[in-house]
Amino acid sequence: MKTLFADSTEPRLKLRQKLLLLNWPFLLLVVSIALVGAAALYSVAGGALDPWASRHVFRFCVGLALLFAVAFSDIRWWLRSAYPLYVVALLLMVLVPLIGIESGGARRWLGYGEFSFQPSEMMKVVLVLALARYYQWLPPERVWRPDALLPPLLMIGVPTLLALAQPDLGTAALFAVIGGGILFLAGVSWVYFIAAIVGVVVALPYAWEALHDYQRERVLTFVDPERDPLGAGYHILQSKIAIGSGGLSGKGYMQGTQAQLNFLPEKHTDFIFTMFAEEMGFVGALGLLALYLLVLMFITYMALRCRSVFARLMAVGMGLCLFAYVFINVAMVTGLVPVVGIPLPLVSYGGTSMLTMIVGLGFVLNAHVNRKVTFRPEETGALW
Amino acid sequence: MSKKALDYGAKKKPDYARRLSHRFSRRALLVGAGQAGLFGLLGWRLHQLQILDSSDYRLLSDDNRMTMQLVAPSRGAIYDRFGTLIAEDKENLRVLVLPAFCESLPRTLDALSTVVPISEATRDRVMRAARRQSGYYPVLVAEALTWRQFALLNVLAPQIPGMRTDRSAYRHYNHARAMAHVVGYVGMAGKAEVNEDPVMRLPGFRAGRTGVEKSFDQDLRGSPGSTKYEVDVRGRVVRELGSRPSTKGRDVVLTIDHHLQTVALDRIKDQRVASIVVMDVVTGGILVMASTPTFNPNDIAFNPDLSQWKELAKNRDHPLHNRAVRGQYPPGSTFKVVTALAGLSAGVIDQKEQMRCPGLYAVGRARFRCWRSHGGGIDVHRALKESCDVYFYEAAKRMGIDHLAKVARELGLGRTYDCGLAGQKPGLIPDKAWKRSSRFEAWYPGETVIAGIGQGFVLSTPLQLAVMTARVATGRAVLPKMVLSGKDEAEPWPLLNLDPAHLEIVRNGMIAVVNEKGGTAGRSKLKLPDVQMAGKTGTSQVISSSRRHLLPGWDGETHALFVAFAPAHAPRYAAACVVEHGGGGSRAAAPVVRDVMTELLQRDPAGRRPFVANNAVAAAPSALAAVENTQ
Repeated sequence: MKTLFADSTEPRLKLRQKLLLLNWPFLLLVVSIALVGAAALYSVAGGALDPWASRHVFRFCVGLALLFAVAFSDIRWWLRSAYPLYVVALLLMVLVPLIGIESGGARRWLGYGEFSFQPSEMMKVVLVLALARYYQWLPPERVWRPDALLPPLLMIGVPTLLALAQPDLGTAALFAVIGGGILFLAGVSWVYFIAAIVGVVVALPYAWEALHDYQRERVLTFVDPERDPLGAGYHILQSKIAIGSGGLSGKGYMQGTQAQLNFLPEKHTDFIFTMFAEEMGFVGALGLLALYLLVLMFITYMALRCRSVFARLMAVGMGLCLFAYVFINVAMVTGLVPVVGIPLPLVSYGGTSMLTMIVGLGFVLNAHVNRKVTFRPEETGALW
Repeated sequence: MSKKALDYGAKKKPDYARRLSHRFSRRALLVGAGQAGLFGLLGWRLHQLQILDSSDYRLLSDDNRMTMQLVAPSRGAIYDRFGTLIAEDKENLRVLVLPAFCESLPRTLDALSTVVPISEATRDRVMRAARRQSGYYPVLVAEALTWRQFALLNVLAPQIPGMRTDRSAYRHYNHARAMAHVVGYVGMAGKAEVNEDPVMRLPGFRAGRTGVEKSFDQDLRGSPGSTKYEVDVRGRVVRELGSRPSTKGRDVVLTIDHHLQTVALDRIKDQRVASIVVMDVVTGGILVMASTPTFNPNDIAFNPDLSQWKELAKNRDHPLHNRAVRGQYPPGSTFKVVTALAGLSAGVIDQKEQMRCPGLYAVGRARFRCWRSHGGGIDVHRALKESCDVYFYEAAKRMGIDHLAKVARELGLGRTYDCGLAGQKPGLIPDKAWKRSSRFEAWYPGETVIAGIGQGFVLSTPLQLAVMTARVATGRAVLPKMVLSGKDEAEPWPLLNLDPAHLEIVRNGMIAVVNEKGGTAGRSKLKLPDVQMAGKTGTSQVISSSRRHLLPGWDGETHALFVAFAPAHAPRYAAACVVEHGGGGSRAAAPVVRDVMTELLQRDPAGRRPFVANNAVAAAPSALAAVENTQ
């Protein structure tokens, strides 16, 4: 294998070589998670492929094609286009409050007719690329300097603020987690992180003032769900009842009463884990979490094997995104964090989030395929 | 050299890229470990929810999805012997509120009051109920809505949050006033009944309180069904998990002939307090049991008006009491039938013995008067016909109280009957043992003497008098029946332990009372061809004549009684009538019996086929579902 590319900067790999380099066990894990999702959606629909399970599988297949396309594409092309893509995503996000479609008290969507699109989803992937691109360019000796920290903070801060303005607390949190994680992995000093945490604690009361009523309500009912069992605390309470009543081995596939009887809100999207845990019990829920954890470990392992900073950060960045999704979603449905409306990647029904995640995983595989690739300084170009 | 130095210098310079690479590896592992740790947190949380607290959540979950509704059975109908519907379940349109779904209960009530009048009392009751119980329990606001109101409310439903309309059932009585005492009425179940049968907890469920409604309550009630529903979050029924249909109560067919009952009530309704019982002496079936004053059970069973109820309950004449089974009167001269039979059976008198009536009878120092001085030549026939007290004083004195009591009981007096009439009084047939045990006194001969003419301690109800008459008429141990069994002719009643010849003597005496010249009820002879009625008048004192002035007016007046059977030579019907404080039996009571008997004989209900209730298909599930137990 070593002879294939050695230390050469000649990166042109044949497709056949790329296929060999692909991490197939990882892909198998991803497919199995998606199939779990399909099975769960089949159950949610009351034992029917329509309306969710079949479309979920179809979308996953489309996503899989995209994943391969991304994985086998030239990493240099992504390096070059990271910034332009970021700018496009940012512009789209700016457009959302202006011409977006309003639904459920929030403007998150851009769309025309049947087709609708959530720019913040695109931003999740593109943010990772842009940050990775930045640190690929940044000379290692400058990583510690405060002035070098300014551009990435802006890159993270602007979309985060835009997401908050939509308002979409979940996505904003996701941006912050991904961005912060990449900065940390890129080698930014601990000092900044400690400073940031202190800053957040200080700023918290002001942030509280700025929150929307419904967001405050969510936080409050998170603290005490029984506050309003039929109102805002209802989702958490019902979700906990569903998960808790599953017990060790669950109520059996398609036997979950909470979900089947509509006690669960958004059971096919954000609360699908609840339904899964109810029907499959503690064993099934832990199994699903184990699958995700395995995927995350694979990603870390793959990132560690990458030579270029861009590939590494791209892989771990996507890993962080996946992790943040899974953790926030499961923590939310089990009542550990407030309800923020984050789907469970690859399992929840929903086109955009599925595409985001699968494209993200495509980038992970891309990094893995191109693990031996290094970039010449001229390939990295200037900051812009 | 310089190049070497440069290289050396370059080597001295820290390798930032390498250092950063190591830092990345360290931190990536740290992040990986952090991720694993946070997943561990999720696992711990799941363990907490699904293993440690699972049973609690399972309970909550089951509560969420299942709701049991008891389905109240619809109550059996009550028919008269020819199938006239007397009591039935009718649709009751109601409006209820679910306080939990009201934005503001007072406002919901305000909105309702635009359609249904809501009194302050009702409003208070609803508000109290809403505070006291879970907001998911429906509270009844008004029932017996008209169709118009019901439809209007349903149209307005979207604008009145928390309102619910439903259809339940209420008990309706036809021919209410005439049948009130016999049929009785239904009401809310008492505490003891609720503990005994959970179906009583259903709101609006009513149990029989009096009359046939009470004594046949178990039959009429049916058995409740239950439906288990799976409901979704809004309490909407998703599907039935299983149901047991309720069984409609059995229909009950009374022996009463509603037409005759109405005629009889019409005939006595001018009296202040009176009652009449007519029975079929062959089957024991009671054809008429009328009591006045009466009431309308529809006022009591459903939507009772409190002031009206109070008035009924407080009324001095006790309209709620069925005099035919609860009125205990000294039977007076009607009891002479018993005394005559007892004397004959004891052998102390016979058909031929004649006595002399000076209008006075002395026992020791006491003097007992006859109502008239009959003179000499009084045999048992004449004594009955003219109702001579002295003859029966003597007869009673000769046989003693215990034998008299024995024969009286043989004739069905002094007891209640298991015939499906609640609230019967036993009357009283005194004997020595009774007096010893209840009064702690010896029996005095004078008491035997007055017992011989049905005064003193002797008490009986009109129903008992009718049974006595029926037994004398047939010589069989007839027992009354209120309800037709649906089977054809039952076995004849067992024979009485009395000599038929003696019975014949007494019957002839009773025929003479009505049909012979000089009989006390001669004016009440039937005006029908070929049919005669036999009877015995009675005028019982409520106070001795010497103390009459202490109880002036109506209360001191004598009771008027009359017992009769007809046709005289082939008895089929027996009747007993008591007019409380009505004066003389021949004047107040006998004409009533004559008129009723005339109507009865012309109608001849015993000769016609009675109605048979169709109880075989009565197992249909009822539509009356209770709103209960949600969530």
